[in-house]
Parts: sequence; C-alpha cells; structure tokens
Amino acid sequence: MEKTSDKTAKGKSPFMRIFDFLSGFKLATATFLVLLLLTWLATLEQIDHGLFPTLQKYFSWQSPWLIPELNGKTIPIILPGGYYVCAILLVNMTLGGIIRIRKGWKQAGNLIAHFGIIFMLLGGGVAHHFEERGNMAVGEGETSNVAEAYFEYVIEISEFKDEEQGEIHVVRGEYLDDLVAGKSRIFDFEGIPFGLEVSGYLKNAQPVAAVEFAPSKGELITDGYYLLERDSEVETERNMAGAYGRLVYSDGKKSPPFILAGASFYPLSVRHEDKVYVINMRKRLWPMPFDVKLDTFTAEFHPGTSRPAKFASDIQRIENGQSSPMNISMNEPMRYEGFTFFQASYGPPDAKPGDPMYSVFEVVKNPSDKWPEYSLYVVAFGMLVTFLTKLGSHLGSLSKKRKNAA
Amino acid sequence: MQRNQSKWGKWVLAVIVLGAFVLVFVNMVIDNMPKGEVQKVENYVPWEKETIEAVESLPVQDGGRIKPLSTFAAFRMLGAHGARSMKVEDKDGVVYKLKPTQWLMDTLFRPHLAVQLPTFRVDNSDVLKAIGVKVKGKRDRYSYLEIEPGFEKLEKLAQTYEPIEKKERDPVQQQTIDLYSNLRDYNVLLSYFAFARNGVLLQGSGAEGEDQRVQFSALMTTSEEIMTQVRASRESGEALNPRLETLLQQVFDGANFAKFGLFMLPPKDEAERDWLSAGQAIMGVVAQETADPKTSIDDTVSIEMAVQSMGVSEKAFRDHIIELKERVVKRAEARGEYKHIDMEVSYFKRDYFLNAMVYFLIASVSALVMWGVGGLPSKIASWVTAVSTVVAATYCVVAIVIRCIIMERPPVGNLYDTVIFIATTGVIFCLLVELMSRKRFALGLAPIMGTMLILLARRYELGDASDHFNPLVAVLDSNFWLATHVITISLGYSAGLLSAFLSLVYVLIRGLNLDGGDKDLRRSLSKAVYGCICLTVFLSLVGTVLGGIWANYSWGRFWGWDPKENGALMIVLWTLGILHARLGGIIKEWGLHLASLFTACVVAFSWWHVNFLGVGLHNYGFTGKAGIIWTFYGSVMGVILLGAFAMLIEYLDKQQRKEKSAASVKGLEA
Repeated sequence: MEKTSDKTAKGKSPFMRIFDFLSGFKLATATFLVLLLLTWLATLEQIDHGLFPTLQKYFSWQSPWLIPELNGKTIPIILPGGYYVCAILLVNMTLGGIIRIRKGWKQAGNLIAHFGIIFMLLGGGVAHHFEERGNMAVGEGETSNVAEAYFEYVIEISEFKDEEQGEIHVVRGEYLDDLVAGKSRIFDFEGIPFGLEVSGYLKNAQPVAAVEFAPSKGELITDGYYLLERDSEVETERNMAGAYGRLVYSDGKKSPPFILAGASFYPLSVRHEDKVYVINMRKRLWPMPFDVKLDTFTAEFHPGTSRPAKFASDIQRIENGQSSPMNISMNEPMRYEGFTFFQASYGPPDAKPGDPMYSVFEVVKNPSDKWPEYSLYVVAFGMLVTFLTKLGSHLGSLSKKRKNAA
Repeated sequence: MQRNQSKWGKWVLAVIVLGAFVLVFVNMVIDNMPKGEVQKVENYVPWEKETIEAVESLPVQDGGRIKPLSTFAAFRMLGAHGARSMKVEDKDGVVYKLKPTQWLMDTLFRPHLAVQLPTFRVDNSDVLKAIGVKVKGKRDRYSYLEIEPGFEKLEKLAQTYEPIEKKERDPVQQQTIDLYSNLRDYNVLLSYFAFARNGVLLQGSGAEGEDQRVQFSALMTTSEEIMTQVRASRESGEALNPRLETLLQQVFDGANFAKFGLFMLPPKDEAERDWLSAGQAIMGVVAQETADPKTSIDDTVSIEMAVQSMGVSEKAFRDHIIELKERVVKRAEARGEYKHIDMEVSYFKRDYFLNAMVYFLIASVSALVMWGVGGLPSKIASWVTAVSTVVAATYCVVAIVIRCIIMERPPVGNLYDTVIFIATTGVIFCLLVELMSRKRFALGLAPIMGTMLILLARRYELGDASDHFNPLVAVLDSNFWLATHVITISLGYSAGLLSAFLSLVYVLIRGLNLDGGDKDLRRSLSKAVYGCICLTVFLSLVGTVLGGIWANYSWGRFWGWDPKENGALMIVLWTLGILHARLGGIIKEWGLHLASLFTACVVAFSWWHVNFLGVGLHNYGFTGKAGIIWTFYGSVMGVILLGAFAMLIEYLDKQQRKEKSAASVKGLEA
C-alpha cells in the first residue's frame, strides 16, 4: 500500500480511483477498527447469548449486517457482518499489500507478511465453509464408527423390517432451519411410499402434555401434546429441536400431524400398507471410514487435588480388519485420513476406581487444518524481516548522528 | 531536557507524579503492615531461630505438589490473615513479629497460644455483629478465641449464603463464607496433633487412681489383636467389649482430627502418588489396610515424640523435629520429591520482588531529580536511576529464573506469573529503548513502570492468597506451548503497555510544555512509540496465531472466539490500525500518541478484564474488584482527553499565529 494524496488522485480514471480506494490505507484502517469493534462486542454479547448464536450473528456469511447488544440492551447502530469485513480486508490486502505495494528489498518483509495473512484469512474462510465437527463417545471395550454433530438436527426415516432398520434417508438441517412461521416443506424419499411434510420447526423445544401445561400461543396440539418453544440455551449444543410432521400419501392426502422432537427418547413409528417405518429427529450422525475401539481410559489428577493432570485414551483404530493401537491424550490428538480426534472429555463423572469409563473425542475434519500454522511461519518471517530492517536502519542513523555530533 | 521549561507545567507534573508516589507508598504500607492493634498474648514466648529453620523445610504435599512447610504456612496465613506477618506483645510489652512459619508452628504445636493470635482479618465488622461477636474496628483482626463463641451462628449463616451464586452475593455474605471457611480450616490445623498430645485413655486401667494413657503408636502395634476381637465380635454377633469400643472410638476421633490439613508422610511405595496425613497413617494400620505398617508406626512414634517434647524444652522439641524431618526427607528424596525444597524456602525468605520494588522506588525518586534539575545533580541522579533500575530488574530476573526451576516449567502459567513477567520485561524493554534513544525519558519511566506492576503483583497475590507454584491443569501442561505462545503474548502485552507509557510521557511533556518545544526529544519519543507498536503487532500476532495452533492441537479448532483469544486479536487489530493510519497519514504525531495511549485500555481488557466476564476457557473464575479496571480505563481516557485538549489548543494557537503572520505580510504589502 502506498500513500496517496488528493493531488495525485485528481487526474486518475474512475477505475484507478476505485483501485486506490480498495487498496488504500484508509480502507485498511477502517476494516481493522470495525473488526476490532465487532470482536469486542461479540466478546461481551456471548456472555448473555452464548457463543454459537453470537458467532452466527457477528461472523457468519449469512449475516451481512447486525445490530449489536451490550449488557442485554440494543445499541441503535448498524454494523457490517464480520465475514464481509474480512472479505473486504482480503481484497484490500491483496490489492494494496501485494499488488500496489512498492517492490524492493525494504518492502520484502511486508510483502511476505501480507501474503501470509492473506493465506491465513483464506484458511479461515475455508474452515468457515467446509469444516465439520462432532463428538464420538465410546465406552471401554466398545467400538464406534460414528460421530454426532454438535448443532445440526436432522430427520431420519427408514423402513423397519425383520427387527432391523433399512436404508436410512436423512433430511439435513439446512432444509429444516427455515421452516418457521407457517412455512412447510415436503420431502420425498426413494423407496418410501409417502412423502414427509415438515413445518413449525423450533430450534429448542420440548413436547408438553396440553393437560399439564396449556398452550399459550395457540400451538398445534396433536395426540394431546404440543411443542413448547424454549429460549436458546447459552450452550447451544444443549438445544433440542422440534417440528411437526405429516405423511403425504401418493393420492395427495395427508395424515394427522405428529411431533418430531430431539427430546424424544424413541423414534416415531408409522404403519403404511402393512409396512412399518421409523421417523426420528436427532443430531446428525457422521460416519467415519474406520472403527475406533476404546481399550482403556486413564484420568490422572495432581495428587491430593481434583485438578486434572492427564487424560488419555488407549484405542485401536480398525480399518479393513487391520487394527492399529493408538493413544489420544490432551495436546496429543490422532490425525488420520483428514480426520482429527481430540481427547475432549470423559465419564461417568461420579465413577469410582475400577468402574467402566467412557471417553469422548472431538472429531474434526478441516481441509485447512494446517494452513494457519504454515501462514504463521510466513507472517512471522515477514514481520521479523520488516522489524529487523527498520531497527537496523534506525540504529544506523542513530550511530551516524552520534558520529556527526562527536 | 531544555532549561526554558514552563513553570506551571512543571508544577502540575510534579504534583501528579508526587501524588502517584504517595498512592504507591500508602498502598505498599497497607500491603505490608498488619492492620489492627498489636495483639496482647501475655505468655507468648518466641521460637528460636534454629527451631524455625528445622521446621520450615519440612516437606508437605499440598495443592498437587510437594512444598516446604514455610510455603504452606505462608499461603494459609495470607488467606486468613491477609498478610505474611503479624505482631504480638507479651506481658512485658515486648513486641514480636511472627512470620508464617512461626504462626503455623504455634497453631500446630502450641494451640493454647495460637488461639490468642490475631489470625483472622475481618474487612467488615457487620460480619461479626451478625454472629454476636464483640467488634473492634470496622476493619480489624481477631483471634480464634474472640470469634469462637459465634462459630455456630457463623456456620449457619455461611450455609445460608453458599447456595447464592457468587456473582449475586453481597460483600458481607461473601466475607461471612470466607471467614467460616478460614475458621474451619484453622480448626483442622489446631487439632491436627491432638492425638499425639492426648494419646488414648485406657478406661479402668488405673486400679486406684487415674486411668492410664497410652500412645497411638503403641495401640497401632496391637492393631492385629484389636481387629481380631472386632472380627470375632462381628462374626459371633456379640457386642464388642465396652472398653475396647471406647478405645476404638478415641482412636477414630484422634485419627479423624489428623486426617486432613497436613499431608506430611511420603509413602514408601513410589507408585503411590498421594502422601499421607498422620490420621491416614494411623487408620491405615488400625484398619490393617496398609502394606507397610512399620513405617506408619515409626512415623507416628516420631511425631508423638516431637509433639510431647514441647512440654520438656524447645531444644528437645527441635531434636525430635529434626529426627522426624530426616525420616520424611529420606523418603521424599528417594521419590525425587525434595530437590527444590531448600531453594523454595530461600526464595520466599529473600522476597526478591519486595527488594526489587525498593530499588525501583529509589530509582523512581532519583528519576524525578534527574528530570527536575539540570547539570551535575541530574547526571548523578541519572546514574543512580540506571544502577537502581538494573539492580531491581536483576532481582526480578533472578526471581523468575528460580520460579522456573522450582515449577519445572516456563515462567508464565497463571495470572500472577504474567504480572511479574510483564513488569520485568517491560522494564528491560524500557532500558533497551533508553540505550537506543539516550534521552533519559525511558530511563526514568522504567522504574516507575516497574514499581506500579510489582505493586500490582503484590496486591493480586494478597487478594488471591493462593500458591502460584501449584501445578497447571492438563490442557495447559505443555512446556512447548507455555514457552512459545504464552511468553510471546505476555511480551506483546509488555510492549503494548510500554508504548502507552511512553505516549503518556509525550502527552505530559508536550501538553504541559515541559520540553520547551524540544522537537528532537519529541521525535525520539515518537520513534520509540512507533517501534514499540511495531513490536506489539509482531509479538501479539505471532503469539495469537501460536495460541490458535495450540488450540488446534488441544481442541481441534484454531479459533474458538474465547474472550482471551479475542482480547489478543483486539490488540493485533488495534495496533495494525494505528500503523496503517500512521502510514496512510490519517494520524500524525499527536494522533499516534493518543492512539498508543488507548493501547493500554485494549491490553488491560485482554490481560485482566476478560477474566471477569465469567465465560471462556481462560476464565480464572474471579468476579470481584472489576472496579479497579474501570478506574484504570478512566485514568487512561482522562490522559487521552488531556492530550486531545492540548492538541486542540496547539492547533488554535498555530492558526492564530498563521493569521497574524498573514495579516502582518498584508500590512507590509499595503
């Protein structure tokens, strides 16, 4: 980026003026300050609203603008969404920090640092759009090959035959989230002789018996129950979604409505033409390409305290019949085939010595997993070069001055 | 600095600086002097130096690590008493200053004296009024004997307040809970060696006179016979011999009193990580649960001899304590758990940071002289400042190195560590700036910054009253990341604060015209601030990304929007904003310094304020005293306003002069 003055800008074409604006220091400064403000407000707002909704509000691509809150009170200003401010910063840095910047040895460090930050921002964007995460709980001696998503509720439907579930069809959360305020959507599945209409989706809801707690907002009652909407939990992963469903038959007729709820202990079973189908609302299950068997879980505490010293899981990673022993502990995850398994927690919390334990792994698939690390090397190197160059020239001019003075 | 400085500006500055120093001094006195009057303990006899030295390095397990008894005593005393010393006066009016080890020795071995010591600090007398205890001052110190009559009521009140969420409790409720907790813990220590003092009464053993008493250790040797009788009674369904039942009850009571409080006996089995209390050793033998009854019995004998020799002479007591210590140390050494004990005893005795603060204060006063006068006195003062600051910084560095050796980890692992580390590195940065600029502003600033931050460390330690050597939780226990991410971030805080301090100097000297318009000095300050901001960007950015990489290793996400992470990012964004605004000509010299001053607020938010928010993985769990931070923000904003006002006046003055010179040119032309 170079310093511009009004004088030089006057004779420029509109394209160049736009280029100058997009690559200028003023835009860079403004984006830094807006990002600072957004970060500060998001930090404070997560106290009241929890992390996930705050991030959705401040930094999701679906949030182009926002009105912030402070201590639960709305601040009457409109701010741009963090995702788009980062996008502007990316453009500014590419145009100003890579293309427009004066080329030469003195600017080499800056150029490298800008390149590194662009790479880091891109990594953040890739993670934002493509990262998947969930958790896998496995008991000692047990095996699992699925992780459960933290936030995404889905609807699963399958035929139940010979005491087994047939092919499971899944309606992903992105097709359910907007089904609010009278909106509905019909889903058809291959091999299932009816469609499923879903409406009245609620992010956090509890099925309640109408006789026990009468509905106050005209909620739909079905089989004596209705969905009571609850405020979103501060820890959003504790939300339990709910919706109303109806079967839509081939002749266009619809079944009476029924409740689908994440809080239900068992899936709903329906009979159609002598066949039984199960419909279930639950957090999305995420199949892994290998099995994980937990051999032992070890929790160590600093002697005489409840302060954790070490959590570790000895596992067998089983793939194509081949078993590989692995250890996953705090700060020592297992990375394999693009998946990373972290030691997240364990249980049961009141376990006594000798009781069977279970271990919970956080499972992450992030295509840009290592990008921040690589970009750090680039940025640190670039900044170090800049810093040392400046320091060297400053010290050089100082000693020159002193010599002259002497 | 030039001689034609503005007189009024100089006076204002002098008042501000002197005011700050009075504040610092008062704070230091409050910090180190016990409150309340000297307590009269008529029959008090001080411990001999040799006895204290024998006791202080006794190893105990506490807070997940092995530490000397002196450290254990220091933090227990700090928690209850709010200071590391207390004064008592005997019947002849002789005043004794008790340090933590002496206080704990009284508590454990001379409880009849200990209950008269002013152990409990009460900050609000309403707490005592509510339990019917006679109060002294609004804020005072009380002995166990003075509070004990209200103990039951205190317990009931504390139990009523405990269910209230910590954030919602008022100060009296919180202090009631704290006092109850301190009293309860103190009770445990008071009665810890009761088993050794009293032994067990053998009912009906005295044929004509008093019943006989036997030692716990003697009973432990007969545990097999006792347990055989107990088992036989259980199997036959017959009642246990009443004498045996009474005896067992006394054993259980004695062992229970010594079950907690002091875990002083290392197990012989190296696989066993938990040290035993005296009560656990007794019960392990009596219940026949230990694989090594001989060691436990011998340990108990040793304890009993030491405790009972108190009634003979202090020398006898000392000899037995040395014997006990030799037994315990031998086992601790075999387990590799005694290697830093002596070093830790010496570390706390030498009080490096208090020494550093004294030298920082000397340097600060001489810095005032250096700035305020000219000629030879200023030159001499500058040497005094430099030498004292270097001595103080050396104290800090030595202390930090010793801490690292004792903790076996890099220097920063908790909030207290950050304060002393930032104080030390801030001073070193300041001295480096001075080496480069040679204008004496950074030289004078270094001890002032050092004094303030060491004072903050002492105040925090006093309020927190917890041992900051204790081991870290699993997720933080990574020497690689502690040595890279945490150090870099802390250095970033240090550089950010230094840039703000330097800008404070700039605002004061230019705003109050103390430099007589010395442009060279101003330019040097601006260059130093610019350099510090560059350093802050570098350290904060690298530190923040390193933190992200650590988080990615530990939790599988590079960025979790944790308040502490956000705070570090805010420093990066703010300083990048300053640099780009300066490069783009959006801000000039004044703007640079006013923005740099605001860096102090951003650093304070990231370093301290996020800890009060009560969310996130870096939350340290404390909720009170957020008001101090707001005072800090207010002070910084006040200086920024002062600077902005001075900038405006300067601008208007310039405009006026421009208009005047234009008018005079016009006049000449006419």
